[in-house]
Amino acid sequence: MNVNGRPEQFSAQPNELLVERLRDGLGLTGTKVGCDTGQCGSCVVQLDGRSVKSCLILTVSAAGSEVATIEGVTTPGGELNGLQEALRQEHGTQCGFCTPGMVMALGELVDNTAGGEAPTEPEIREWLTGNLCRCTGYHSVVRGVQRACAAARAEAPAGSTAVGQEV
Amino acid sequence: MTTVTGETALPGNGVLGQPLDSREDPQLLRGEATYVADIDLPGTAHMAILGSPVAHAKILSIETKAAEQLPGVLKVATAADFTDVMPLPCIWIPGGVESHFPPHPYGLPGARPVLTGDTVRHVGDPIAVVVAETPRQATAALAAIAVEYEPLPVVTRADEALAEGAPQLHEAVPGNLNAYWTCGDKDRTDAAIAEAEVTVELDLVNQRTINSPIEPRGAVGDYNAATGEYTLYASTQGPHNHRFLLSALVLGIPFNKLRVVAPTVGGSFGTKGYLYPDMALVLLLSKALGRPVKWVDTRTGLMNSTVQGRDHRQHVTLAGTRDGRITAVRCTSYANLGAYPSTIGPGVATALMGRSISGMYDIDAAFCEVYAAFTNTVSLGAQRGSGRAEAAFLMERLVDRYSSEIGMDPAAVRRKNLVPKEKFPYDNGLGWTYDSGNYQLNFDRALELSGYADMPARKAEARTRGKRLGVGLATYVAICGVGPSTRMSKEGMLGGTWESANIRVHPTGEVTVTVGSASTGQSHGTVFAQVAADELGIDPAQVQVYEGDTLKAPYGQGTYGSRSYSMAAPAVALTARKLKAKLVRAGAVFLGIPEDKVVYAGGKVYEEGNEENTKTFAELAMAMWYGWGLPPEIEPALDETTHFDPPDFNYPFGSHVAVVEIDELTGETEVVAYTAVDDAGNIGNPKVVLGQIEGSIVHGLGQALMEAAEYDENGLLVSSDLNHYALPRAADVPFFDLDKTVTPSPHNPLGAKGAGEIATVPPAAAVVNAVVDALSDLGVRHIDMPLTPEKVWRRLRGESQ
Ligand code: FES
Ligand code: FES
Repeated sequence: MNVNGRPEQFSAQPNELLVERLRDGLGLTGTKVGCDTGQCGSCVVQLDGRSVKSCLILTVSAAGSEVATIEGVTTPGGELNGLQEALRQEHGTQCGFCTPGMVMALGELVDNTAGGEAPTEPEIREWLTGNLCRCTGYHSVVRGVQRACAAARAEAPAGSTAVGQEV
Repeated sequence: MTTVTGETALPGNGVLGQPLDSREDPQLLRGEATYVADIDLPGTAHMAILGSPVAHAKILSIETKAAEQLPGVLKVATAADFTDVMPLPCIWIPGGVESHFPPHPYGLPGARPVLTGDTVRHVGDPIAVVVAETPRQATAALAAIAVEYEPLPVVTRADEALAEGAPQLHEAVPGNLNAYWTCGDKDRTDAAIAEAEVTVELDLVNQRTINSPIEPRGAVGDYNAATGEYTLYASTQGPHNHRFLLSALVLGIPFNKLRVVAPTVGGSFGTKGYLYPDMALVLLLSKALGRPVKWVDTRTGLMNSTVQGRDHRQHVTLAGTRDGRITAVRCTSYANLGAYPSTIGPGVATALMGRSISGMYDIDAAFCEVYAAFTNTVSLGAQRGSGRAEAAFLMERLVDRYSSEIGMDPAAVRRKNLVPKEKFPYDNGLGWTYDSGNYQLNFDRALELSGYADMPARKAEARTRGKRLGVGLATYVAICGVGPSTRMSKEGMLGGTWESANIRVHPTGEVTVTVGSASTGQSHGTVFAQVAADELGIDPAQVQVYEGDTLKAPYGQGTYGSRSYSMAAPAVALTARKLKAKLVRAGAVFLGIPEDKVVYAGGKVYEEGNEENTKTFAELAMAMWYGWGLPPEIEPALDETTHFDPPDFNYPFGSHVAVVEIDELTGETEVVAYTAVDDAGNIGNPKVVLGQIEGSIVHGLGQALMEAAEYDENGLLVSSDLNHYALPRAADVPFFDLDKTVTPSPHNPLGAKGAGEIATVPPAAAVVNAVVDALSDLGVRHIDMPLTPEKVWRRLRGESQ
């Protein structure tokens, strides 16, 4: 599989979970494990561009896929992406344990808005239902997404605005 | 958030009180922080714990041979391997300790051993451990350990555990009663209730809940045979405290040979301040095996082993006049301590709850009694807002019950009984003396901001949509700033509860602050830097904060009870003031003027009336490092420490308003608006506090609407994963309307009060009050939490509780 754009070759036990491969096998510990049941969303990564819970996916079933983790979003100590920057400004993280999963899950939503409609508050909250956060109460995260979406739309090239939208 | 009263008058350069961005956030957002599960020491072996599958049984035999033979297994250990290890101490003994030389809490009745050898007392009670090369091998080997049990009868409710003929948990604790504890004036309260024009009573269940930080706990033990030093990395909110408990009380190893490190900690809310068997086991096994030993819990493991919260069954009474004056409040509570007394669980269930029951009200007579009982459940401990939330719940339910009984608006009743501003400091008759407050201002602001006056119209409008709208009020006082050590001894806390800070100014003018506190996500590095920078008049970017490592930071109890900003931050401020005083003395030498002509301001010293004669902070730092020409009474270097033990607690407070809509068809309760006006005194960083307030409210709403730790009749925790234990999700809550009032505390130099968890205290009461309001025309007078759709739907159909 390709992980953060790098080809990785290994053989895996049939019962190995993708999150185990990422954390223990490849040392990519930015992806977190918060539950045993696919409920918390701390382990979300992107598989071929779609966000998935890596604790629910077998490594073997991800063979040949593009996997993106939080480590692929920025360089160590480097610039934050638009969503991360917006979350920083809104203080959308406290203990930070749920945060990489949130960033990976929400990235898709923000990307989608660049050329389309900004999601409404209920849509953002709906999108977030797969990710649990016990610290923030989600408010700062929702505000962060709103901010990131606004920035993404402002930066989108002219003409990409959704139909019916005033420019 | 805007401020209603702006009494903030802090010295310094204005950095404090500013919503600076959290400097911790970028690292967290990049996934670069190291949590305990991310620690990977060379040669690490992995530990798994075998927890009891049954709630109560005698262990007849444990057979480990088969497990030992399995691939990768390095060691299987049981209680027999640790006979010289002391049980985990409970250091909060309800009732108080009045001695300079408190007893070591060795072998307190019911104390939990590191592994259980004879009798298991709850599902998850640790019986054996396996250490193996990989986590999977360790976990797999657990299944090969054969344990023979002889089942014993089970009890999971406190009131039932105290009944005649109940199953007995500990031989040394006949009747399962850990503590009978009272506060207030019983005779006066009973008399006031007997004579009252109106009395109302309620039977309340404050259900057991599980804090559920998103990061499960974990620990890594690393013994260095060459030096005899132990290092424990753990997801802890009190590294110094854990060092004390482990070295001095459990393992009997020299205090100075144990180092405890809290890496980044993924939330705690009280649970990670407790001592757990795993912390001792990884150290013992690291020594035995000569390798680092690591253990990381699973979610289900956490649910069955990490302290749980609340869990009171109460009979409560309120007395008053027909015109709305409350004259007495009384509470009899059965508190469920679980199978073993946790580190400070008994104190949470007694003092933290009982002394708070009269809330923001000026009541002549109050009394609370608590029966704290052992049962076959996970040990009880702190839970965001612990004790105070239980107290606010009973009082605020009673006030609503009373209001409806006398036909008066619940807001009017509350307003009439608030402690008036002139009465501070206010002795609440239950053991607390409230430091400062302006309750009327705070309460009125909440009514105004929530549009309380418009609720009748909104109710009528909601009915046209098939919804029942209800509005619920709740106020609270939260004791924070634990604490004054002597005062805490009177509550029975066996430990110094002060906090320390050290500030070291480097020759280049940069500053290192170290504190005994330890963050579990509260941006301490940002806020403590603001405190130091504000006092010293320098740029916060010059200040670096370290905490969470007992080797690097001075002693402190850690983060709990919303105490960091009112305990550790004052220690930072006082230390900075010592440095300033020294710089004034040294400044006289450097500037060649008498001391009383030296001014320290804006990060420099200068001559009064002659600002040309000046030295900057950086120049002073370098000069103090050289130490040239200093008179003997001034030591070189700038390095000061303060141990801050406040004169008394501090008491934040607030008023919340919940508006709910209940769907007539489904019984679903939706919180459609929520207003909170909290008063945490002077605030260091409003952005950081805002986040904590928002998170706290959602946590409180969780208890009202969905959270419950349910045990079946066999003592099995049914809600032992996140499929069966519901936590609030983003779509469950609206944005909140927030404001604050500011009433500084006189008990610390920053005028600070606790903030982190205070907003968890009232939401459960506010929401239940709102739901009862919405259903009151159906004759509903009370409804137990959590307010699941089914429960509400049954009440809509006229079924009783
Ligand atoms: S760890 Fe994957 S959803 Fe919780
Ligand atoms: S920031 Fe702590 S769980 Fe989300």
